Amino acid sequence: MDKNEFTTIVMPLKDKLYRLAKRILVSTDEAEDAVQEVFLKLWKGKQQIENYKNPEAFAITMTKNYCLDRLKSKQASNLKIVHSNYQTSENIENNIEANDGVEMVFRIMETLPEQQKIVLQLRDVEEFEFSEIAKMLDSTETAIRVALSRARKTVRDEMIKKYNYGIS
Amino acid sequence: MESVKIEKLLEAYFDGSTTLAEEKLLRDYFNNNNVAGHLEQYIPIFKGLQVAREERSSRDFEMPESKPKTIKTWWYSVAAMLVVAFGVGSFYFSQPQYTQEEKEALAAFEESKNAMMLLSENLNKGAGQLTLVEQFEITKDKIFE
Repeated sequence: MDKNEFTTIVMPLKDKLYRLAKRILVSTDEAEDAVQEVFLKLWKGKQQIENYKNPEAFAITMTKNYCLDRLKSKQASNLKIVHSNYQTSENIENNIEANDGVEMVFRIMETLPEQQKIVLQLRDVEEFEFSEIAKMLDSTETAIRVALSRARKTVRDEMIKKYNYGIS
Repeated sequence: MESVKIEKLLEAYFDGSTTLAEEKLLRDYFNNNNVAGHLEQYIPIFKGLQVAREERSSRDFEMPESKPKTIKTWWYSVAAMLVVAFGVGSFYFSQPQYTQEEKEALAAFEESKNAMMLLSENLNKGAGQLTLVEQFEITKDKIFE
């Protein structure tokens, strides 16, 4: 596999991997570094990636593992304090009234356990099937559904709590 | 879309039992502007997910270059070969390298050195014998005293 082939396989995954990394690591810089690192790893193991039927799933699993490792090694440091700016998103700028609520949702998502964060990201943002997510995370569909349900409910409950608090 | 259906879908959604198609329905509904009043509290969730979906990285990721790497390793092997060649060469050239004439001269030198050594050894032996003469003198002095 030469560089061009590799690029055509891997480049389209860039944003997906970045979003997943950002969901786990929160910080934009950290997430970008993680994606860069994963690309290098994929390139080193490029013979392997050819053997995989689904390079996307392989890359996502790799990103997830890398980010969780990063998180572990940085647990004691200030990684979690680094918040990045969602304000750059045009969507938020266009819907100022939704800004607070959306930001709140992101805040709540940050507080979820890693596994739930990842499942929520892969399902509700990247729209993967349960079977695909189970493979990526080396888990079962049932476990994924349970984690997803918990994540969604936590977001809902926290959201409603804050929403009502804001109104009253 | 009637809100009853949405409510049902929402319930299933939070139980994790909606399909991707159903989730798309929910997303479309909540990202539209005609959300029923009592469902408005769910808007931020689906708007938030929509925002999350649109996140992009502005960084240009470098694709690993294969060329520099091969050049590098190529240089490493050249450098290693040069070092080895230099080592072997300097070892070889540091060995004494005499011409035939010098070698003969050296052999002659060694030989004459040996001869000298032999001579001095014998001389020392002779000198050792002289102490006996000295002893003789001492004894003679004792007797004639």
